[in-house]
Amino acid sequence: MNHALTLRIGPATFRIGAAWPQPIAQLQRLYAAYPDVTGQVADFTVRLQPTSMVRRWVRPSIFITGDHGLADAAPMSLSHGLLAAEMGMNLQMALGWRRHLLLHASSVEKDGCVLVMTGESGSGKSTLAALLGERGWRFMGDEFALLDLDSGAILPFPRLVSLKNRAIDVVADTVGQAHMGPLLAATAKGDIRHMVPRADAVARMGEGAMPALLLFPRFGHAPDIRPVGQGEIFMRLTQASTNYVALGEPAFVALTRFVRDVPARAIDFPTGEDAIAMVERLWEERA
Amino acid sequence: MDNSLSYRRDPADALLSCALEDLTLLYHRRSGQTHMVISPVPELLDRMADGATVTAQALHDRLAQDFDLGPADEALAEIATHLYALAALGLVRPA
Repeated sequence: MNHALTLRIGPATFRIGAAWPQPIAQLQRLYAAYPDVTGQVADFTVRLQPTSMVRRWVRPSIFITGDHGLADAAPMSLSHGLLAAEMGMNLQMALGWRRHLLLHASSVEKDGCVLVMTGESGSGKSTLAALLGERGWRFMGDEFALLDLDSGAILPFPRLVSLKNRAIDVVADTVGQAHMGPLLAATAKGDIRHMVPRADAVARMGEGAMPALLLFPRFGHAPDIRPVGQGEIFMRLTQASTNYVALGEPAFVALTRFVRDVPARAIDFPTGEDAIAMVERLWEERA
Repeated sequence: MDNSLSYRRDPADALLSCALEDLTLLYHRRSGQTHMVISPVPELLDRMADGATVTAQALHDRLAQDFDLGPADEALAEIATHLYALAALGLVRPA
């Protein structure tokens, strides 16, 4: 690869190579505050390569691959190169990470305890984590929460926050344009803009903490808070984990402990402000 | 369902179990599969824990010591169906 950089996010190190300079330059700007791990051995390699020789120059088109890849991954426009790099890193974690149980969830920490939020794309878990990260919580991650198999702690994976459509303006108004990446218009998931986590989230990205509350957020509905049965929680978390099956018995033990020990609620909310008020109240009441 | 078939639990099929409210999760080490079951499956498996070969009738008699199973014919048929399903999952073995 002609252009490359090495990034550490939480416990994982990625070497990202690209056939073009633009995605790497964007990553360098947005990850400038992350530790310099140049020259270190990476856990994973991500490659952004042309879908064919011609597509390097003419209507440049990216094929995302690396140590782990999907043969039928849809090609992406070079203008979405930053998103391709982020997707490439997610792909490596989802398919290759074995040191922790991976939960498709966002997480934030306060008072030494972690709030975990899991849901489908569009549930509001990324936006909520980003907004809470601006209001006295430590942002730990918007995509993957890493559950330690021995201690039961949640470890951070604070990559750039991926914000979609209406969430972009809500968060950009709060954090300021200097902390935002370029607008990636009309991707497969709509408009996307990345947000740089606060400095404390990056400085403390090696610090885990015990989970104290699990939420299943759902954006765009009338306010509601519901209990969730443990069986349903277990089932939804196994569906939200990319490596539960691969990790075997240790994952079963860690996840059942999580389900039994961590109180959980489903929350519906019409706006981010409503959600934050609900989260703060549930956090106070959790004991 | 044939009530005369015999089944047993094999040490190789040892299960890790975890009760979550009214559900029980069973982790089957040999296959790496997690099963989510409800009563009466945990009770059936408990009463086969000694590894002895049992028929649906023998299991019915064991369960009847602790539970009111209702009409014997219906209970027996249900137990036989469960044993057949558990064998298909590899949690018990035909003996």
